[in-house]
Amino acid sequence: MIRLSERAWGYVFAGPAFVLVSLIALAPIAAALWLSLRQQLPIFGIDEFVGLGNYLQLWGDDRFWAACRTTLYFTTLSVSAELLLGFGFALLLNHLSDGAGKGLRWAHVMIILPWAIPTVVSAQIWAWLYQPDYGLLNYLLVVAGLTEGAIDWLADPDWAIHAAVVMDVWKTTPFAALLLLAGLKTVPQELYAAARVDGAGAWEQFRRITLPMLMPVVVIVLVFRTMDAVRVFDAVFVLTGGGPGNSTETLSIYAYKTLFQTLQFGYGSALATAMFVLAALLSMLYLALLRRHVQGSA
Amino acid sequence: MGRHDDQGRFMMNRLRTRGLTVCVLVVVGLFCLGPVLWQAVTSVKPDQDLVRLPPLFPERVTSVHYDRVLLKSSLPRSLANSMIVATSATVTAIVVGAFCAFALARLPITGKSVILGVALVTSMFPPIAVISPLYLLMRELGLRDTLVAVGLTHAVYSLPLAVWLLTSFFQQLPKELYQAARIDGCTPLQALLTVIFPLARPGLAVAALLVFIFSWNEFMFALTLTASDATRTAPVAVALFPGLYEIPWGDLAAASLVVTLPVAGLALGFQRHIIAGLTAGSVKG
Amino acid sequence: MMAGLFFILLALTATGCFQAGEVTDHGTIILVFKHGKLSGDERVLPNLLREFERRHPGVVVREELLPASSDQQHQYYAMNLDGGRAPFDLLGIDTIWAQEFAKAGWIAPLDGLLAPAEQEEFFRGPIEAATFNGRLYAVPWYVDAGVLYYRRDLLDRHGLEPPRTWLELVRAAKVVLEAEPTSALTGFVWQGKQYEGLMCVTLEVLRSNGTDLWSGDRDRAEQGLRFLRETIATHRITPLSTSMADEESTRWIFGEGHALFMRNWPYAWSLLQQEGSPVRGKVGVVSLPAFSGFSSAPVLGGWMLAIPNSSTHQEVVGELIRFLTSPDSQRKVAVELGYNPVRRALYADESLLEVRPLLKDLQPILLEARPRPITPYYLLISQAVQPEVSAVVVGRKSPREALDTIKRRVDQIVGEQRVTAVMER
Repeated sequence: MIRLSERAWGYVFAGPAFVLVSLIALAPIAAALWLSLRQQLPIFGIDEFVGLGNYLQLWGDDRFWAACRTTLYFTTLSVSAELLLGFGFALLLNHLSDGAGKGLRWAHVMIILPWAIPTVVSAQIWAWLYQPDYGLLNYLLVVAGLTEGAIDWLADPDWAIHAAVVMDVWKTTPFAALLLLAGLKTVPQELYAAARVDGAGAWEQFRRITLPMLMPVVVIVLVFRTMDAVRVFDAVFVLTGGGPGNSTETLSIYAYKTLFQTLQFGYGSALATAMFVLAALLSMLYLALLRRHVQGSA
Repeated sequence: MGRHDDQGRFMMNRLRTRGLTVCVLVVVGLFCLGPVLWQAVTSVKPDQDLVRLPPLFPERVTSVHYDRVLLKSSLPRSLANSMIVATSATVTAIVVGAFCAFALARLPITGKSVILGVALVTSMFPPIAVISPLYLLMRELGLRDTLVAVGLTHAVYSLPLAVWLLTSFFQQLPKELYQAARIDGCTPLQALLTVIFPLARPGLAVAALLVFIFSWNEFMFALTLTASDATRTAPVAVALFPGLYEIPWGDLAAASLVVTLPVAGLALGFQRHIIAGLTAGSVKG
Repeated sequence: MMAGLFFILLALTATGCFQAGEVTDHGTIILVFKHGKLSGDERVLPNLLREFERRHPGVVVREELLPASSDQQHQYYAMNLDGGRAPFDLLGIDTIWAQEFAKAGWIAPLDGLLAPAEQEEFFRGPIEAATFNGRLYAVPWYVDAGVLYYRRDLLDRHGLEPPRTWLELVRAAKVVLEAEPTSALTGFVWQGKQYEGLMCVTLEVLRSNGTDLWSGDRDRAEQGLRFLRETIATHRITPLSTSMADEESTRWIFGEGHALFMRNWPYAWSLLQQEGSPVRGKVGVVSLPAFSGFSSAPVLGGWMLAIPNSSTHQEVVGELIRFLTSPDSQRKVAVELGYNPVRRALYADESLLEVRPLLKDLQPILLEARPRPITPYYLLISQAVQPEVSAVVVGRKSPREALDTIKRRVDQIVGEQRVTAVMER
């Protein structure tokens, strides 16, 4: 057998992933980037290189900036809620499994279920729940005496974006919870035992042990949830179509309409690239935080 | 006597936390399951009762929606397609991803940050912008309207998550485990297969579950890459229920439950794996 | 391991692959027919296609379904037609795409297929919508038009006639709402969500006031937009939820007996009349109202058949289009699926009217129905208009502001058109 160095083994291991990603993911992305430098409007019969022209147009496009704000608002709200709730769920499940209860298995499934429902469907479930006249939500609120009349969750520009956030939180909290739970399971129990001996309370234990140990997982959750939230599409599109009055038009809805409704292939790709830049900036922020945290604790 | 008191207080505390836990569980359960249960109620309502509220629960129950979904549509075929696609995507992503992640976590290769960066970039780019070039690529490769195209795409687009996740898991495993295996004469491949992967089971299980669910639910790529009954995945089949204006709510509710069921079952099965991996105890080692 | 897995998959699926316009070893021509899912009995269209195959030995037609959602279809077609190698030979397109696809050079001219004399046998609106630069690019498949549904029983009880003007509609709604004890009843529901349906409603209201969104009388356009907002805010005959309503949500409200009037497409009729429906036998259909002094202006909907430029079997596919739009096929689809035929003569066909009596009421409406603006840039314009009108409907913008923005956007789009017209020369 040929003897390979540790390093060579490393390349052999990493190779397949690299090849696959380059072919199936990087190549189309490169094509999209290239397209964003072109003006391609089949109905105008235009197909030409315009360099950064599309990006300059973006800069002066009010609808783009409005969509940016909507996207950021949506992302901030939903990701923070998902992280907090996800942490709660994970701690709860962890707590349950320490008691080794039988109900635990069902608790897992229960929490994972929303994540397992195809988005195409869940958006419609929620559209159904939000229906002001025969939707369950208003019915329950009225029965419980919390509201007088029906609330138009989606028809009111102030409510609509929040209705979309709630749906997204419902749908994706399981993702956060599952990852955080897996992370919790890797924290050595001895650390807690030692802390208890030192007289640390539950909150102290959480702050001194759980949180630092889980920081890498938290960052993964933050990064991946943020990237998904920035790119949120079908959830909001099915629910509101971007309305009323564009109040829920996120970047990806705007990009989708630009690409596939109005067939501005170049400009649409530039919009998509801008979304990518936004997501990249946010992830770099998280990674910087992680690095500071690592250095701080070292 | 003091001892007795202590025990009583302990029991009380236990009971109180138990009660609290149950309460929290009920709230969490309602939040998570409520919409799904409502969907289940909808799926057994006769068409005329769909938009009537109250009553909360239907007076008459019908199986007509399930009949239509299971017997008169192509959904069963699509479920089988989805199963093939999601399974192969999961296997591919986890196998390829685990090796890559280990190389990133423990082996002295250069350009680690480049690889992680590339992985991130691919999962940061909005799918709606890559869908067109990707479709053209698959068409060029002669893979249009095949399960391979969908499975491969799902595997690749979930690779970044798998790699990131597994890298962090491998980093949490003690370095000494791998070194000891190497000193014992294992090749890196053997060390991985016999020592590392078994220990990383919780991580692998979670990653696999996430990839599977991603693939099972993914709509946009699947819609674009498939064209016929032979390849259509379940979410695309569900999207085929509505007519131009008319939305058959009952059918849609039944279909969505049927589509969700396998994943729920899987979560149930996998959960045992996660626990098994954890209670093996070696993680703490 | 992975490669092996994929080879297995490949083997599993290889049998399922066809290419459009493929000619197999035996000389069989395989035509791929791409279209959005039709509602109703799923065997009707396949049966028709088998019939066509029987008449044309050596031709096999393969249906490839897309979701009925018009957005998803447009996306699919755009991706495939751009680049000129579409993997299908026949496609179903929305009325509003014909100009765009023709201008982009994606679909082939079909005037050889339908002589001018035969075009006369179709409704005029769809033929106009399919004619680009004097040539026909698509053949109408089925048609739709906006109509007003009303509760016959409620109007009768209060001695009211179906309204002919918007003012009458408001008055009738107020009379009935005041007199009827049920609080669940509302006056008039329409499609107010930010999507193409809102565009249709807006055009119907503005055109029934003798004007249009960006050309025509400004004051009357403002009056039209204000009317939409006022149904919610001032007259209170329309629930706020209408600003999020699509066809189905309005149909549910009306179908439960909770609305007096509804603007919708003809599809709702058979659902409202089906067994168990609370409004069965209590519903009537008339032309949409107009502002006084002007006439009703329903918007034309419907789908057409077109051939991608790249299809190598233009002639056979032409035959297939002729077959699908022939009086016989049209009658069959109308009887079994309830789709409205494009040939005018069928609306006088006694045997058809017996099964589909609604067609009699629809004929005058379809005759006066007008296409949405006939321009290749329609989708660009529609996307610019929708958010503005939606903002008016929820009270975020005044009609004047909205119309200003619309005018500016449309001028920009049309301006670009002029630039390219110069460049093309």
